[in-house]
Amino acid sequence: MNLKRQAQPRALISLVPMIDVMLILLVFFMVTSTYLNLDMIPALRPDTDSVSTTVSAQPEGSIIIRIGADGHAVLRGQQLDADAVTDHLTTEIAHEPLTQVLILPSGAAPMQALISVMDSAALAGVQRLRVLRLEASQ
Amino acid sequence: MKLSRPPRAAQSETIIALIDVVFFLLVFFMLIGRMDATAPFEVRPPMAQSGRDMPAGGVTLAVAANGSLALDGDEISTQDLATALTSQLTQQPDLRLRINAHRATELRHVLPYVTQAEQLGVRDVVLVVTPERDE
Repeated sequence: MNLKRQAQPRALISLVPMIDVMLILLVFFMVTSTYLNLDMIPALRPDTDSVSTTVSAQPEGSIIIRIGADGHAVLRGQQLDADAVTDHLTTEIAHEPLTQVLILPSGAAPMQALISVMDSAALAGVQRLRVLRLEASQ
Repeated sequence: MKLSRPPRAAQSETIIALIDVVFFLLVFFMLIGRMDATAPFEVRPPMAQSGRDMPAGGVTLAVAANGSLALDGDEISTQDLATALTSQLTQQPDLRLRINAHRATELRHVLPYVTQAEQLGVRDVVLVVTPERDE
C-alpha cells in the first residue's frame, strides 16, 4: 500500500499587519508635514556679520539705502522699487566691486521691505552688506 | 473532453501592487515634507529670490505679524527668550538660530532679536524666506 504524505501548505507571511503599519506611517507623514518651500538669508555668519546694531564709520565707496516706515527704499533721495535698486546696485558694483551697501531701515518698516532690499543687493552681486539700526527699541 | 480551468492567481498579488503604491507615497511624503515645529500663529515668510537652501538643525524663532514669539513651536515671552537661548547655547555652542518672521512684521519686532542673539553668543543667525511668489 502506497501511503502518500499530504503536501504541507506553503507558509505565508501575512502582509496585512505590514500594510496597516505603512498606512499609519503614511497618514502620520501626510498630517504632520508642512510643504512650504523655505530658504534662508544669512543675518549673522560665524565669520562676518551682515546685520549690525551700531553705526560704524562710513568707509569710502559705500551706499546707504534707507527704508521708510511705508516700506519704500530710498537711495540718494530717490524712492526706488526693487528692480530699480537692483539695477542701481549692479551699476555701482560693476564700477566698484567692493562697494559697501548699508541698509538703514525704519523700525516700523515691514520685514518684506528689508528682505526685498537684501535680495536686490544679493542679485546685484553685493559682497559687503550691513543692516544698521539707530536705536535698540523693542 | 473536459477542459479544466487554470487555477486563479493568489490574492496576495493584488496586495503587492497596493503595497508598492503605499511605499511610494510614504517615501514621497517623507522626502518632500518638513517636520519642523510649526508656530502657534500664522507666519508667512517674506519672499526672496536669492535665498539659499536652509540646512537642518538649530532652533527656529517664529515672529508673528503682531510681534508674538514662538521658539521651536512654543510661545515664549521676550523676557524668557534670552534664558532659553542661553540654555540651548550651553548644549550646542555652534547653535544656528533661524528667525522665521511674518512678512508684515515690523522690523522693530525682529532686528532686536538678531542683536540679542549676537550678544548671547549665537554666531549663525539666518532669516527664513520663501522663493514662492503668492498672491
